[in-house]
Amino acid sequence: MDMVSMGLLAAMGALATIAGTSEDLESDVGSQSNPNSQVQLAAQVGHTHRIYNKAISGEPPSNALYAALAAVTASVLMSDAYGMNAFFSIAVGSLVAAVFNGILSMTSYMGRNTSQARFNQYVYLDVLRSHTTTIMAHAYITAFCVVAISYIMTAPWLPIQHPFPLPVIAFTWGIALGAIGSSTGDVHYGAEREFQQYPFGAGLNAANSGDIVTKGEAGLRSSIDNAWFCAKFGGPVTGLAFGLIVFLDNWRTTIFDPATQGWYAIATGVLIVVLLNVYNRILEVRSKKRYGPYPEYVGDIKA
Amino acid sequence: MSTFDASTLIYVIQIVIGGLLVGIGVHFVPVGGAPAAMAQATGVGTGTVQLATGSGLTGLISAGLMMSVTDNILLIVLSGAVGAMIMMDVTMIVGNWVYIYGIGVPPVAAKVDYDPITKDPQPPYISPGTVGHGVPTVSYVSGTIGGLLGGAGGSLIYYALMNINGVSGLSAFFAIGIFVVNAVIASYNIQGTIEGFHDPKFKRIPRAIQACFIATLIIGIFAVLIHGGA
Repeated sequence: MDMVSMGLLAAMGALATIAGTSEDLESDVGSQSNPNSQVQLAAQVGHTHRIYNKAISGEPPSNALYAALAAVTASVLMSDAYGMNAFFSIAVGSLVAAVFNGILSMTSYMGRNTSQARFNQYVYLDVLRSHTTTIMAHAYITAFCVVAISYIMTAPWLPIQHPFPLPVIAFTWGIALGAIGSSTGDVHYGAEREFQQYPFGAGLNAANSGDIVTKGEAGLRSSIDNAWFCAKFGGPVTGLAFGLIVFLDNWRTTIFDPATQGWYAIATGVLIVVLLNVYNRILEVRSKKRYGPYPEYVGDIKA
Repeated sequence: MSTFDASTLIYVIQIVIGGLLVGIGVHFVPVGGAPAAMAQATGVGTGTVQLATGSGLTGLISAGLMMSVTDNILLIVLSGAVGAMIMMDVTMIVGNWVYIYGIGVPPVAAKVDYDPITKDPQPPYISPGTVGHGVPTVSYVSGTIGGLLGGAGGSLIYYALMNINGVSGLSAFFAIGIFVVNAVIASYNIQGTIEGFHDPKFKRIPRAIQACFIATLIIGIFAVLIHGGA
């Protein structure tokens, strides 16, 4: 372990934290991923809305696409034929990814909302104008950070030498990042923000499906309001999750040289996993003690 | 004229074992699909394939790094398994943070009355109109096992392909493809949602083993041929 590797590892962790946060907020502004099922249902049960609606695909494939696009563009620009500086190459690559994101988002929003015309759901051009650029801006940050992490892992003049080419490693981190964003931050948007009129402390009752909040703090609620809310908790914790994964996974191979101390690296990983399992148990016990059983519960099994 | 030799057969067998590990591993991953994203079902609020692939590929990154410095199969496969377990465990922990602190629901399983590991009663903590929420201990342990199997399987496939062609990018991409095929087959088998190994759907696993075996055998033979193993 040398100080440069440790510093690069810290930079990777920080970049991953920003990538995770912006990825989650991008999916909140665009209403991608699983909570979008409620947005699509809303119009059908009589709640027309001004929420953006872009379930292009699952988050992992879409983020893998953006990251791989940015990485391919960056590698071409960095190659001997063009010889561009790495920083600017990644910036241009991320711009290409953001433009693709914008095209997919717009077609997705228009396609989905026009198909719901029979439920009086309109295509709002002002929503399209204001939200698409916000989505693209977040996608740009995400793609930039993911490709920067991948570049740090693969650049020939840096100490971490991963064998995968830049686009493959960016693709792989993109898939992982999408899976994390979809699993963590989006729950805050789906279970809390979309259904804020119901009391805090319960999952969505299946009978209330589609009854999303359509009115905002002032006027009608838009998806940018949703990102404002999710930026307080869902986004940052998603960033923390991706940051922790990138950091912990690379930390064990930074402090222990995989070539000579491979078994120590694996043992450290196993120790981290055991500690996380214990921590989850503590979390579960504490939450059940704090919240207690539901008052409506009428079964025979005692809490 | 190319011919099959013993080492080619070993590579195909390694790919098939890797595929089977992925297929079985997916059954352990607690995912609640779209309902879980509204705290309406136990498990992580995403798709089976998405989470399993995300963790398996994180493992693949660890395995790839290890394989660049050693050719010890055990080290490579275990490195992949540990990477996948870390990804899965961190994701489930942060998922639980969101459920507990963001939505205010304790993690609870709905398919069993008592948690098989901790013996805690479950029904009193299920909010009305839902079938559980969050990742309780049994699902968490199950998810860790899922990460272990998925990561090990993906790394084994990568190891076999790398031994044939020695090109890491190509091998990684083929390994990702074979991984996703098996994850999708297993996902069909559990119809998108499962709480973990205590879920009654887990008993369907023999069917997934048959399907994954056939699919991976065919893909394995083609992968080895395409990569120039014969």
